[in-house]
Amino acid sequence: MSQSALAVELKGIWKRFPGVIANSDINLKVTSGTVHAIVGENGAGKSTLMKILYGMQKADEGTISINGSDLVFNSPSDAIDSGIGMVHQHFMLADNFTVLENIVLGSEPKNGIRLDFAKARKQISDIAAENGLAVDPDVLVSELGVGDRQRIEILKVLYRGAKILILDEPTAVLVPHEVDELFNTLRDLKKEGLTVIFISHKLDEVLSIADEITVIRQGTTVGSVNPHTQNVSARDLAEMMVGNELPTPDAVGDTIQDEVVLKVENLSVFAKGGKAIVDDISFQIRAGEIVGIAGVEGNGQAEILDALMGIESASGRVQFKDEDITNKSTRHRRELGIGFIPEDRHRQALMLEAPLWENRMLGHQTKAPNAKGMWLTPRSAKADTKRIVEEYDVRTPNIDVLASALSGGNQQKLIVGREMSGEPKLLIAAHPTRGVDVGAQAAIWDHIRHARQSGLAVLLVSADLDELIGLSDNIKILLRGKFVADADPATVTPQELGTAMTGAGEAA
Amino acid sequence: MTYLKSRRFIGAAFTAITMLSITRTITGNGDLTSTVTIAQALVFASPIALAGLAGIWAERAGVINIGLEGMMILGTFGAGWAGWQWGVWAGVLAGVIFGAIGGLLLAVAAVTFGVDQIIAGTAINLLALGLTKFLAILLFTNAPGGGQAQSPPIKGEIPTFTVESIVEPLTSLHEKGIFFISDLAGILAGLFYNLSLLTIITFLLFVMTSYLLWKTAFGLRLRSAGENPWAADSLGVKVVQFKYAAVVFSGMLAGLGGAYLSIASTIYRNGNTAGRGYIGLATMIFGDWRPGGTAAGALMFGYIDTLRLIDTGNQNVKGLILLGAIILFAIGGIMLRRARRNSAVGFLILGSVMIGAYFSATSFPPEVAQVAPYITTLLVLATASQNLRPPAADGVPYRKGDHH
Repeated sequence: MSQSALAVELKGIWKRFPGVIANSDINLKVTSGTVHAIVGENGAGKSTLMKILYGMQKADEGTISINGSDLVFNSPSDAIDSGIGMVHQHFMLADNFTVLENIVLGSEPKNGIRLDFAKARKQISDIAAENGLAVDPDVLVSELGVGDRQRIEILKVLYRGAKILILDEPTAVLVPHEVDELFNTLRDLKKEGLTVIFISHKLDEVLSIADEITVIRQGTTVGSVNPHTQNVSARDLAEMMVGNELPTPDAVGDTIQDEVVLKVENLSVFAKGGKAIVDDISFQIRAGEIVGIAGVEGNGQAEILDALMGIESASGRVQFKDEDITNKSTRHRRELGIGFIPEDRHRQALMLEAPLWENRMLGHQTKAPNAKGMWLTPRSAKADTKRIVEEYDVRTPNIDVLASALSGGNQQKLIVGREMSGEPKLLIAAHPTRGVDVGAQAAIWDHIRHARQSGLAVLLVSADLDELIGLSDNIKILLRGKFVADADPATVTPQELGTAMTGAGEAA
Repeated sequence: MTYLKSRRFIGAAFTAITMLSITRTITGNGDLTSTVTIAQALVFASPIALAGLAGIWAERAGVINIGLEGMMILGTFGAGWAGWQWGVWAGVLAGVIFGAIGGLLLAVAAVTFGVDQIIAGTAINLLALGLTKFLAILLFTNAPGGGQAQSPPIKGEIPTFTVESIVEPLTSLHEKGIFFISDLAGILAGLFYNLSLLTIITFLLFVMTSYLLWKTAFGLRLRSAGENPWAADSLGVKVVQFKYAAVVFSGMLAGLGGAYLSIASTIYRNGNTAGRGYIGLATMIFGDWRPGGTAAGALMFGYIDTLRLIDTGNQNVKGLILLGAIILFAIGGIMLRRARRNSAVGFLILGSVMIGAYFSATSFPPEVAQVAPYITTLLVLATASQNLRPPAADGVPYRKGDHH
């Protein structure tokens, strides 16, 4: 290793929250002018650590030194002043503001008390041109897609003169070719002498971009590797993250039966103005089959799922086994044995301010073990909630805590457990493992595969293309509300799938 | 952009005057666009406009201010009491300060403690109503010229201006009754007739708000607190301070609006606000949380209020009905062109009913005019609400460090 100076050095960082130790004795050295990746499972404490480094939270113990001098950050402004900038996982943008307004907010160029729009515009286009980040400063952010939004976030940070960039799971929302663009940008920034701290749990990406990788497990740093000099594989990293050997994904056996469980004909969903969001699609799923839908978010996935559940009104015909359920209520559909894991768990799957066992009843409130006749049966519902908590490894002190007290990954495990209970015939699932860490992800996949062997039909929507390819028997590519192509999961690569999803090339 | 904006403004003003002119010609009622009417409309519009402006400040910073009515009530009381004691300008000052206290109360409840903003605002309305009634009994009952429900007269007057060289020729032009020209003349003359200094201050506050909130760094930061406070916080904007500043200033503006009311009627009287705080809120929504539209909405309310009050021979209410019908037909026409048939049919039927009423009835109860502003608001909100763009985090409690 060269003798370059350290841009960031963290020594002995501790952070405790009531009942949880988020960071314990974290030590981290980031060399100036490198891309340094921090990897770890969900809930390993990566985000807390970065919030501490960015001044959003204060460490209980430990020191932060930037470019060799010890500093104390009381707020993000202190961090910004020391040349640290953060690109958040959930974009921090005001939709009703223009790109320019979002970028200059908090450090506006002024002319008297007036905001100097002309100067701001010039500064932004200069920085944008230098770093190859094309944006129009005068459009509203609400009109932009995720790739553009991320560019704005990076511009925001560069505009403030940041020399150290923190990117919190930047690729989670991007399709593969956008990831390539982002990585090119990061390499350019590195050439300009900037330091990038890159947080991720996608190990292939980390290996392709990082100069050094630090692994965090259960709140503490367990080691650093240099992918240029050491020979490490994604699997080695994963095992460092999890702390033991990974389960191997099973070879997929053919379990497809003859019986058609779901038959959809000419399904369309229209927006208020009459525009078709889902445009005349037809498909069917047999027992024991998993059909995956690949598509960039916002191309109609959510509407298809809602229409199939009877939440959204749609035209066309939906048949479940032998029954035409086109005009049947959501409750009727659920009682037939259709499980539903929605895209937005806070909006559709949980009552955040209710205990876990009440959430266990939600959506299954007419059936055992939750009800008998017109009476609810809390006792057996509670017992069954305990079963789910154990089988699906939901980390919770007990089943009386509020759903809002669980981390996102644990909430998701509870939902999956609930929807897989009572032997569903059809599972409609959106991002079943979103926010869930590596170990639990494998467990959820196993549950789905197992149920499928006994005849479960699954409609799977996922932004995780590896998941989609690994689980599905058949992948349909959705673009602007239409199925534009099919892909064979046995042969397709995530890159090919990503290209097809954006409509950029031919389907694989 | 400015070019486009001014063109839109001129277009809107042109349309409004044309409609008024058509109505005036059909009814033959010169009062509809007379100098006096317009001058009085400005007096009625100003307190509502101030309330609306107060709403803009609070809600642009992300705090819904249902408490406007209460803050206005505090303002009317402050102005009545201090005006009686020390004169009219002391009254203005006291109105502003009392309103600010109401604003501070809302800020403490809604910003610091994260109380539901609707409930906090409603509490302030109830509190202000009860408190002022109590204080009125306590302070005014035995005062000469006062009573249990009203203060003694406010001492002194706010200066008013009449520019004779403009008003006189324009007024005589108005009396000639030429289509459009005379109406324009009457309206222009009204702007320079008995113009109160407080009205000028109100106008300047609107100009200042447009500039401060949309052209300065201060304004961008304040609005960021209403659009995405978490993003603002991550960039070092002191969100809580901005919210406090905005809500307290909102209270000051509402208090000034209340003071305007008391001074216009020369005394404090229980219930003098008569829901103008809520109407202010409605004009703010009508105006898409922007000063220009809010001012237009306030002028509309002030104008209708005026016609109702200076109604001789029940002609103005009739005129209003016809004007309403014309507006409904116009909106219906626009809807038809935008291929929204169902709404269009609704507007056209309603318009026809009003036309029918206009030609069949000889007189209308004045209450019809009293409810007209509210019906107008409902109609406007029903048609325009799809295009409104409220601050994204309006009404959302914000705690530092939280994520949404």
